[in-house]
Amino acid sequence: MVGIDPETDFTVGPWLKNNLNGKLGRNEVILGSNAHIFFGKSESKVGDIETFYGNEFVVVGILEPTGLGLDDGGFITIEAAEELAQLSEITAERQLEIEPGQISTLMVKVDPQADRGDVARAIADAVPGIAVVSSKELMTTSVSRQLETMAPVLLLIGVGFWIIAVLLIGALFTMVVNERRRELGLLQAMGATRSFIFKQVMLESVQLTALGGAFGMAVGAVIILLLKSTVASSLGVEFQWPSAGFVVGFTLGYLVLAVATGVIAALYPAAVASRLEPYQAIRSGE
Amino acid sequence: MIELRDTTKVYVSGGEKVHAVDGVTLKVDDGEFVAVVGHSGSGKTTLVSIMGGLTRPSAGSVHVGGTDIWGLDNRGLARLRSEQIGFCFQFPSLISTLTCIDNVRLPASFARGETGSTEHALELLKTVEVSEKANAYPSELSGGQQRRVAIARALVNEPSIILADEPTGDLDEDTEEDIMELFTRVNGEGVTIVMVTHSHKLASRAARILTMDNGSVSENGSGADDSPGDGR
Repeated sequence: MVGIDPETDFTVGPWLKNNLNGKLGRNEVILGSNAHIFFGKSESKVGDIETFYGNEFVVVGILEPTGLGLDDGGFITIEAAEELAQLSEITAERQLEIEPGQISTLMVKVDPQADRGDVARAIADAVPGIAVVSSKELMTTSVSRQLETMAPVLLLIGVGFWIIAVLLIGALFTMVVNERRRELGLLQAMGATRSFIFKQVMLESVQLTALGGAFGMAVGAVIILLLKSTVASSLGVEFQWPSAGFVVGFTLGYLVLAVATGVIAALYPAAVASRLEPYQAIRSGE
Repeated sequence: MIELRDTTKVYVSGGEKVHAVDGVTLKVDDGEFVAVVGHSGSGKTTLVSIMGGLTRPSAGSVHVGGTDIWGLDNRGLARLRSEQIGFCFQFPSLISTLTCIDNVRLPASFARGETGSTEHALELLKTVEVSEKANAYPSELSGGQQRRVAIARALVNEPSIILADEPTGDLDEDTEEDIMELFTRVNGEGVTIVMVTHSHKLASRAARILTMDNGSVSENGSGADDSPGDGR
């Protein structure tokens, strides 16, 4: 349970202003999205009365999932928290040993232009005996840290699959060139240059990989659409689409990679095709 | 004029050197109709493919219209093949994914860098009497019809030379006769024809007969063997 000062808080403060005119009463609580589990319930609703340390609180709001530990708790006023601690001696099974005025966390909103590291160091120097944690470090303790740990592994798997794709497409086009030796020889007999043959094989490979890339992206988008709710609930976060700029950039980047894959994979078979001696190639199909 | 000077082609087969063409020197004048006959494996096909810039000789030179064709770079050789020489092969050689008319137009695109004229291609298909199959695919044609389309394709760039390697290979006698008449007609228009055949009957339609034996060429050979050549 987090005690906040509704006047200065900027974590749930904006939500309070929008939903409760910035006011949180002595016996009111705002719950995190998973706090109902703590109370042994399948869900909590606004208006429910929940008992915490022998004190009853009216639920005035349920927050959206954040993926952070806050989802499991609730927000009350700092005064209510202090009172809760004092009364715990008689209302709770175990007394909360919190001195009046004692706080565990002081959150500081840093000017966007300021360097968070400099501010953190300045606070640490000015107030000995405290630990200063920046918001980024705070985030890395949860979902962000998990994703950052997984990212290199996912990248490695992606690179592995890409190498396999290049080898497979290369092998496929080597077989295609072998299958079409007679046709390639005939084209040369009709006047096709080696560079034409080379470009023809490259073009077919690029067409294949560009189409494959577009198809893969379409399949991926459909899978995300179908599974977004499942992924979001398993991670405990709300699903959010990336910005339009990111989607456009990612799509273009992905297509460029697909085309580059086709080019790299077809280099060897295209070179082999362009170096065939025409009559030997024509006769190989006999 | 086609001129071979001490031209040799050596293949390695089973670890042994085989002289498919062995020091051949010959001239074919413009407008001539020459038949090349010989035993199976005597080197007829290799000789014609060297003349047409399809097989690089191991030694010697080949001159077409005074140009040493094997001294040309790849682009020059490709231009020679597209503009001066038309090929007819001993097997069906149409591109299976193209219609007959597109097959005929294809060499024109290599020669001029643009799609060949439909009218000209259709005219050629009429000449070889398969215009009704213009939009059909090769798989829908008989062997004889495919050969006719291949001849039309060989003529599309109005080449000065036709190199035909057993152009009537597996065709019936009537179709064979039709195609020979076509060659005679084309030759009458001034096109040089060098035709490989294992048949002395067909060779007799040519003005000049060359006989190949073990890679060597002799003039006016009798060529009594009528067995099918393996096209070495």
